[in-house]
Order: sequence, then structure tokens, then C-alpha cells
Amino acid sequence: MRRIAVTVAAALVLLFAGSQPSPQARAADSRDPIEDLLAEDCVDGTAMAIAQAASRLPQEGGVASDEWPPHAIGGVIPPIRSVSDPFPTFDGIALDTENDRVILSDENRHSLLVYARSAGGSSSDPTEPVQWVFGPKTRLGYIAGVEVDPKRREFYTVNNDSGDLMTVFSYDDHGNVQPRRTLSLPHQSWDVSLAPRRDEIVISVQQSNALSFYKRGATGTAAPIRTIRGLATELEDPHGTFFDEAHNEIITANHGNWTQIRPYTPYDPIVTDVGEYKSGAFHPSAITFHAADASGDVSPLRTIEGDLTGLNWPMGIDVDLTHDEIAVANYGDSSVRIFRRGDKGSVQPVRVLRGALTQIVGPVSVAIDTKHDELWVANYGDHTAVVFPRTASGNVRPKRTIRNAPKDTPTCGFTNASAAAYDSKRDEILVPN
Amino acid sequence: MFARLANGNVAPKRVIEGQATNLSRTMHGIAYDAIHDEIVIPVALGGAVLVFKADAAGEVPPLRAIQGTRTRLVRPHTVAVDPVNNEILTADPSMRAVVVFERTANGNVAPKRVISGPATGLLDIVGLDVDPIRNVIVAASRKGNGDKVGIFVFDRLANGDVAPKQFIGGPNSKLAHFRQVTIDPATGNIFLAQQNTRMKQMEAYVLDKPREGFKLKDEDDDDSDSGRLDTMGFVAVYAPDDNGDIPPRAIIKGPGIRLAGAAGVALNTKKKEIIAVGGNGFQTFLLPDFFRALKKPGSTNQQP
Repeated sequence: MRRIAVTVAAALVLLFAGSQPSPQARAADSRDPIEDLLAEDCVDGTAMAIAQAASRLPQEGGVASDEWPPHAIGGVIPPIRSVSDPFPTFDGIALDTENDRVILSDENRHSLLVYARSAGGSSSDPTEPVQWVFGPKTRLGYIAGVEVDPKRREFYTVNNDSGDLMTVFSYDDHGNVQPRRTLSLPHQSWDVSLAPRRDEIVISVQQSNALSFYKRGATGTAAPIRTIRGLATELEDPHGTFFDEAHNEIITANHGNWTQIRPYTPYDPIVTDVGEYKSGAFHPSAITFHAADASGDVSPLRTIEGDLTGLNWPMGIDVDLTHDEIAVANYGDSSVRIFRRGDKGSVQPVRVLRGALTQIVGPVSVAIDTKHDELWVANYGDHTAVVFPRTASGNVRPKRTIRNAPKDTPTCGFTNASAAAYDSKRDEILVPN
Repeated sequence: MFARLANGNVAPKRVIEGQATNLSRTMHGIAYDAIHDEIVIPVALGGAVLVFKADAAGEVPPLRAIQGTRTRLVRPHTVAVDPVNNEILTADPSMRAVVVFERTANGNVAPKRVISGPATGLLDIVGLDVDPIRNVIVAASRKGNGDKVGIFVFDRLANGDVAPKQFIGGPNSKLAHFRQVTIDPATGNIFLAQQNTRMKQMEAYVLDKPREGFKLKDEDDDDSDSGRLDTMGFVAVYAPDDNGDIPPRAIIKGPGIRLAGAAGVALNTKKKEIIAVGGNGFQTFLLPDFFRALKKPGSTNQQP
């Protein structure tokens, strides 16, 4: 508790630093207020580190100054209540059975957590990651999909919001480290899948309803080598995607929302030749299969779509090439649905994992481990990843659980929330994601 | 939906989500209609505006959906509701427009009015509210070159390519990377949530093609939720007749706002509370002075 008190006190002092004397004046006065505070009786490393880091920040002319805005009421004011989740939340997942690791993206704290493949159990305590990439140097934002390259011992993630980057890290990276390489992507890219033989990656892009392909080692502002996009593609708010080199197909989970994309940012002109207007549409969720060499506005080879599928906001997917099956994280009804890879149309899944015993809550990604005959599910709604026998079905308990927070820790469920309203009738705060 | 008194790491009381709702996971606006007890939501990735019963929970379909070729909607970002004049307003950065519909509009319907064009100065419109008492529409719009970044006030019945009657923006305002605006109906005070005093980062792509001349930013030139105190965001408050390059009359800044990012702002006028949302959290501030008539710039702004 003392550590927290000191840390907060140091931060508050720093916020007032803009109104403190200049560095030159400070040098003449040996009694630095931060040092004074920390020197009193409770100095610790954390508080000192924060104080030192903040003292290096520019302090003049910014909004931190007490002089701005002049004559205004208010200022540095603490909230009376604050709602946030201090723990990671799992989003994407990638499994490396060669090196026995599993990599999970954390959208809430903007980090990547790496665990031993055999990690987890029945403990109520958080599971310790073997590697944790976390901090401002990493350039991780609101990240979503994850991919792994076992041969090169690298893993990839995609900033779905804030940053528009794919970042690549090594198995040797830990803590606040720069990515080994970065690639600029379209805004709202969601997932990444690697094709080792082709040496390509495919990226799903929500807002442009597209699949963009790049060379595996592409960096900087390299352009896609081809893109599948257009009304005929039936790509509609695409999320999870899988590059199936064995069958030369790209398999993609779609939410079903569609709208035309036009220039919208503050850097684009007001008048642009945008072609014929097409209105927005709501379609059922679907899994689309496109030829891996396709480019442009091309129809899918087949789709899995319809009432029998039970698809409901499908997120991440994985493909079991040994047993010819597709697993889908079905966020909308907190289930995992397994289809035959060759299915088409309105078909029932061959298996469904769903129910209270499964502990599947808001699943966002899945991974199939044919080597150890397991199925992994990353829960966005429950601070857990749960592991089942590969062929598990129905309302069954997981074999083991990986936790990123103590058992029963709530989740707020935010994903870069940016608006609010107050419901005066119910005395509630409304927040869209 | 969270209880007003929620504090700490808490789960929402209820959630509207799932395929049948027609929502998506990309929604940047919300409005509550207290008279008709409805929630209005823009769905950017569906080119639609949806209306739900305010007590909805779970996977429920909307009461009404505005979507289709007549609407001209592309990517509606933010919404407001005028329960007095029975209108729903939305701002669509892809249309570069503020679009007004009948409150009860449903399906493929044409808007009643559209504010758009060079004279309006509107571009990336990310905040919107309407004041039926003073008969104004307030829009927050951003332009990458720094020109016309701020708060635009239009007559409520404005239509077409019309100039705003007031504009708050300029270097003294420090307005740059902001989002939601909301109006206190009693005073007309305008509240704005700003994430950062640096302009929103340029996106690397235009549609599905890399942006010509785009350069990756330096490592330390990071995005809106960076830890830099000198560019941190805030909640700013302006008087209803404010105009020009002026600083806010009232402000909330500090570590609390920096944590939240201040992208959204909502008011509980009865309890004199301000809710700031951003990043992955929200915070509530108790500030009765912000709900009084604010004095003109240059005065001490001390309340009577």
C-alpha cells in the first residue's frame, strides 16, 4: 500500500511540474520538490523511476501547465469513480507445437503473453507467462490476431486500432522492446495468417471488407502484392482468416456487416471520385473460401452460411488439416463450432462446445493442436484461455485453464471505447464499443 | 450498460450484442432519448443508424434501422437525438456531412436535411449534439492540415452548404484530436472530449492502397494514448455563444483524464457529474460549477 501511495504522490507532483521553476532555476535551488518528497521516509524504486522518467518530459507550453487555460475553472481534478480493468484480456492466439509455446494477444493492456504449451491447470491464480512483450517501445495498440513462425521463432500481431501496424517479435524478446520489424497496414486490420511455402501473409481488413496479401518479410510501407475486395467477394466485416496452402484457399470468418468505404480521415480531401454509391447492408455471418491466388472483386469458391450453422459474430478460426476440420470462435453465443473443411451452405457443425461447464465466455480465437490432440480457446470475456480434448463436444469442462487474472476477476469488456451517454431513467452509463 | 455508481474493475450490468442486434464491434457514438426511452447507435461498418428500447439486453433486434440507398449513409460515426423536434441526427465522416432524419424513420428513408459542402468547413466529423432550446447543432470536426479543427455551431434548421454561425478553434484553443461533444440543456454549455493536443495520426492507407508520401512516425512520436503529459487530453467546456480562437472556459485534465484518453463525454445533469470515456475505461467527475453559466473569456470565471 505504501508503494501505491508514494507512486501516486510522485505522479501528482509531476503534473504540477509545468508550473515549477525552469530547469536553470531549479539547478540553483538544490531542493527539488520531487526529490524532497521521495526522500522523506518512503523512497522506493518504482516511485523514483517514475519521477526520473517524468522529469525528462517537456514541461513548458503543454496542457500540463497550471497557466493553461488562463482564468478557467477546473484543472487537475481527480475522478470520484473510475472503471477499468487492470488485467490483460486475451484476444488472438497462436500455437507453436515445435517449440512448445502458445502466444496470446492482450487487447486491454496492449501486450503479448507467451506461455509454455503445457501451461495452465486448475489453479485460481494467474498463470505466469514465460515471455511478456509489453510497453511503449513495442508499438502494440489495440491488437487482435496473432500468428507464429516456428522455424524463425517469430510471432506476429496486428494493431486493429491505434497504430495500423503489424509488428513482429522474436522468441528472445521480453519486456519493453522494439519490434524486429513493422509493416504499415490498412486501418482496422484484424488477423494475420502465414503461408510458409509461398512466403506470404494474408491480412483481414474490417473496414474495407478485404484480404490483403504481402510478402512475409515486408516492412515499412510496402504495398500489398494483391488484394481481394469488392461486392462479389462476400467479404463482410472479416475477422479471423487462415491461409490454407494445402488446398490453396483462404478461409475467412465474416460478421456480415457491409458498407462502402470512402475516404473519411482528416487528411483526405472533401471531394473524391468515389464511384457509384452502394448502401450499407446486414447479412448473416459466414465463412468464405477464396482461391489463394485470387485478386480483385472475385466470388468465393464456397461459403458456410445459414441458420443451421449457428454462426454468430464469428471471430478467430483455425484449420485442422489432419482431420479436415475448421474451428470457429463464435463470440455471439459463447461457443466454439467445428465444421468440415469442405462444408458449404447452411450446414450444422459437426461439434459444438457450449455451456456453463465449458467456461467459454466471449471467445475471440481458437487453435487446434493435432500433435497433442487439444483445442485451445481464448476468452475475451473471462480472463482465461481454456484447453479441451480436440474432439470435445457439448457442455464439458476444459482440461486446464490459463488465467491472466485471479479467478472470477470481472472484465469491463471495452475495446477502445470512445463515446458515452447517461440513461437518466435507469441511472446507468451507456458505453458503445 | 454500467451502474452509475460502478467503481473499479466491474462487469457491465447488461450488454446488447450478437448477430440479431445488427450491431458491430465498431461504434463511436451513442445517444439516449429520455422522453421516448430509446437508445440510438450508429453502426459505422453497416452504414446504418439503429434504435433500441433503452431496457434492451442480450441479442435483441433493433426497434428501427435507418439504412439503404435513400439514406446516403456510408459510415455514420456519431449521433444525437432531438426528442423535442422529433429528429435523429448523425454525422458521417465519409459523407463529410451532418444528416438529419425523422426520429421515427425506419428503413430506406431520405434525410430531412443535410449539412455538407465547402462552406460548412466540415470534414472528419467525430462529435455531434443538438440543443433544441437554443436551436443549434454543434459538430466537432477535424482537418489534417490544422485548418478548421474545432467546434462548429450551425442553426438547427441549417440545410445544404452553409457556413457555421460560430466556430471555436485555432492555436489558442489547443483543439486537435477530439471526439464526442455534448450539450448541457440547462445552460447550453458545450462539453468536448479531447484525446490529445496533437493531431490524429495519419493513416498509412487510403482505402486499400498505401497513402502516397506516407512516412512512418518516429518511435517516440506515438499515438493518442501515449504517456506524454505535455500533450495529454482533457474535457473542455465552452459557453453557448463562444466563438473564435479561445481557450476553454472550464477544463478537466490530469492523470485521470490521461488514463481514459477522453474520447467520449456524457453528462448527468441532475447529479452534476461528468463521465469521460476513452481507452478501455471511464471515469466520473463531480463538478457542479461546470453546470452553471460560464463567464466570458478574460474574466476570472469565478462563480457567483
